[in-house]
Amino acid sequence: MSKADRISGIFWFFFSGLICIESYRLGLGSLHQPGPGFLFFWTAAVMGVLSIAVIVRAWMGRKAEEPESAIFGKENALKIILVLLSLFLYAFFMETLGFIPITLLLFIFLLGMIEKKRWGFAVLVSVAVTGVSYLVFEIWLKSQLPKGLLGFLRF
Amino acid sequence: MYCFFGVLIGTLVGVLPGLGPASAIAILLPATFKVTPVSSFIMLAGIYYGAMYGGSTTSILVNIPGEAASVVTCLDGYQMALKGRAGPALGIAAFGSFIAGTFAVIALTFVAPPLAGMALKFGPPEYFSMMVVGILLLTYLSSGSMIKALIMAGFGLILSGVGMDTIGGEFRFTYGIRMLLDGIPMVPTVMGLFGISEVLLNLETEIRRDLLTNRVKNLLPTLKDWADSIWSIIRGTVLGFFLGIIPGGGAVIASFASYAIEKKVSKHPEEFGKGAIQGVAGPEAANNAAAGGAFIPLLTLGIPANPVVAVLLGSLIIHGLQPGPMLLSKAPDVFWGTIVSMYIGNAMLLVLNLPLIPLWIQVLKVPYFLLYPLIFLFCLVGSYSIENNVGDVVIMLIFGIVGYLMKKFRYEGAPLVLALVLGKMLETTLRQSLILSRGEFSIFVSRPISLGFLIVAALLLIMPVITQRKKLSTLEEE
Repeated sequence: MSKADRISGIFWFFFSGLICIESYRLGLGSLHQPGPGFLFFWTAAVMGVLSIAVIVRAWMGRKAEEPESAIFGKENALKIILVLLSLFLYAFFMETLGFIPITLLLFIFLLGMIEKKRWGFAVLVSVAVTGVSYLVFEIWLKSQLPKGLLGFLRF
Repeated sequence: MYCFFGVLIGTLVGVLPGLGPASAIAILLPATFKVTPVSSFIMLAGIYYGAMYGGSTTSILVNIPGEAASVVTCLDGYQMALKGRAGPALGIAAFGSFIAGTFAVIALTFVAPPLAGMALKFGPPEYFSMMVVGILLLTYLSSGSMIKALIMAGFGLILSGVGMDTIGGEFRFTYGIRMLLDGIPMVPTVMGLFGISEVLLNLETEIRRDLLTNRVKNLLPTLKDWADSIWSIIRGTVLGFFLGIIPGGGAVIASFASYAIEKKVSKHPEEFGKGAIQGVAGPEAANNAAAGGAFIPLLTLGIPANPVVAVLLGSLIIHGLQPGPMLLSKAPDVFWGTIVSMYIGNAMLLVLNLPLIPLWIQVLKVPYFLLYPLIFLFCLVGSYSIENNVGDVVIMLIFGIVGYLMKKFRYEGAPLVLALVLGKMLETTLRQSLILSRGEFSIFVSRPISLGFLIVAALLLIMPVITQRKKLSTLEEE
């Protein structure tokens, strides 16, 4: 894991540096009257030291552990990106389109495009899941799901 | 009724790999808004200890842990199943869980009220020191690098500072982003870190399931099985209970520790990993006792011992209750109602679990391509329903990516969540202590209880340096 540790160590080092600057800007106060940035400045400072320890350990372990394995496998990388993209689109359009249309679209996409199931099967399952989940969340559990496009139907 | 639903859903959550009790409680939390706080808490608590029962079924039959606390049960449980002894393995796991769970509730009944009384004497320095110990203990007991776990705890602390400063009233780390003004919401964060990220990870590699369905018979353990495992159950119960009480401990650590002890005390340690019943009985008792024990710091001190209990704490706060020493006097119905429901819930789980095994087998046959979109849907709807806010959904998805990256880079989520939950209280008590003492840090060492906690904290930091810390990860590798 030395390559992963080097990358993550460097990330945490810069992250802690940014937090130190931001906390300082917020105000450290005094020991009698600690300010809003007090705890976070010192937390980030300790994180900075720890991140250096991660980098050093990774650097020292590098020679012993060659060759290094890849952090992210290439298999299914596109699948994960597409799934994430569909989830973010779901979040952004759930209030505009409403729960029923957006859930239907999400399931058709996941089953039809991502899992490559037959379109008939994907649509059938998507309709069933959307219907049952609407009944469970909206009718039974009384969650206030967004109506969106179908708001005029008042059901 | 709510107890029944809780333990049933909990068992289902335990059975299903990729959906842990923390994310399940978080998902179902909005569904409990319409019921009374006591019914809500009884149901959500039932999910937690119910999941401990359910996790063993998947470990034994599929060799995949249903939830994290059942990882070690795979080692010997699946081997027993391969030898045609899935029935006794499932049976002893259920009976061990029942014995441990009941013991934990009895102990909770007697320990919690005096402890709540004692906690009333705690001031800001004591609370601060205790939370420091909790966070450090979790990082010390983490399965990977302690340095990385400490970084995660630090990250959690910083995240807890996002939003309005409760003392000064100014906004911190919000950068004008509206959805950050109220801070990082805990429930969507947990859903993202443990729910979404786990599914993303599972999408990378196909989960292979070799379901041993035809071997489940003779669920009742024989007298020899009982003789072999009774001391393992007793040891697992006591160990699990104490590890459950300590902030930073929990069911996962308890099960690993129990397995290590059973292997150590066994006259035939070579049988472990090849189907030793003690390797099932001890850890399963330990994780249930720990689940029960974790309610003690929550109900008496308002301190969550682990991320799952942190979500339960969140549920109490959402219902307008403040967990802590005053809960017993201000909401005795919640306090005693939960304890009574746990007696009933444990009995229900024993009665329900064994006859329902055929049903759980059917559940396990649901293909993953259908299961993961459903988990996504529960997470999306669950996070939205908390405050009908799309911002919470976006935060959950962002933490899903963060959790996925953390798993890739071998960082643990538990210290982050515990620090995120305790962060606000930790900061407030630190600043209150320093104001009280006029800036003297000696306030933390001049008060005996606080000093005691800080000595433990110092030992936790020094021990890995002076001794070669025996990592739990070696056990995982075995």
